[in-house]
Amino acid sequence: MSARVTVLLFATARQAAGTGRLRWPVPPAGLSARSLVRSLGERFPKLEPVMRTSRFVLNGSYLTGLARRVRPGDEFAVHPPYGGG
Amino acid sequence: MAQAVRELEGPGLGGVVVFAGRVRPDRTRSGRVERLDYEAHRALAVAALRELETIARRRYGAERVVLWHRLGAVPVDEVSVIAGAATGHRAAAFDAARYLIEQLKATVPIWKGERSRPSRPRRRRPVGRGGRSAG
Repeated sequence: MSARVTVLLFATARQAAGTGRLRWPVPPAGLSARSLVRSLGERFPKLEPVMRTSRFVLNGSYLTGLARRVRPGDEFAVHPPYGGG
Repeated sequence: MAQAVRELEGPGLGGVVVFAGRVRPDRTRSGRVERLDYEAHRALAVAALRELETIARRRYGAERVVLWHRLGAVPVDEVSVIAGAATGHRAAAFDAARYLIEQLKATVPIWKGERSRPSRPRRRRPVGRGGRSAG
C-alpha cells in the first residue's frame, strides 16, 4: 500500500471537494505542506480558493506557515474561517 | 438556560451573566433559514473551549464558567450556544461572558451551514376581484 496522509476537510472545504476525508498519497519521505495544498487545489479546483482563506492543522497543531513537512500517517486538516455561534 | 444558571451558582458569586445565541429565521437568497447545521473539528474544538474557559477564569476572575455549543441540526428559535460566567460582581461577569462568546466565534473550529425553506412565491391578486381596479 502506498504512503498516505489523512486530509480532513470542513464546511466549505468539504463542499468544494465533495468529501470530508481523503486518504491522500504522498512520497515515502513526505512533502511540504505547501506542496500538499497545491496538489489538493489541482485535484479539486473549487477547493483552491477556499484554501486561500483557510488555516491548516497538522496532527492537531495549527501551522503558521506551509514549510512544515507532512509525512505518511499524518493528519492534515483544512479549516475555513470559523462560524460558530 | 436554566441548567447554565444552575452551573453558575456558588457562594459569593453575586454576578452571573449568561449569553444564549438562538438561531434566527434570516432571509437568504434561497428563502428563509429554517435551521442551521453545525459541524466541528471536535478534538480541537473541545481543547479550544477549555482554553477559553481557563483564560476567562484567569483574566476576569470567573469562578464558574459555562461554554457550550450544540452540533448538528439546530432549528430556528432554538439555542445553539451558551456562554456564561459567574464572578463576585457584575462588571467582571459581563466582561467574561462577552470574551467567551466573541472568542468562541473567532477561534473555535466550529462551522454552520444554513438550511433554508424556499419562500412561497407572492400570489398576485387576480385582476378585477377586490383591490384597485384600473380606470
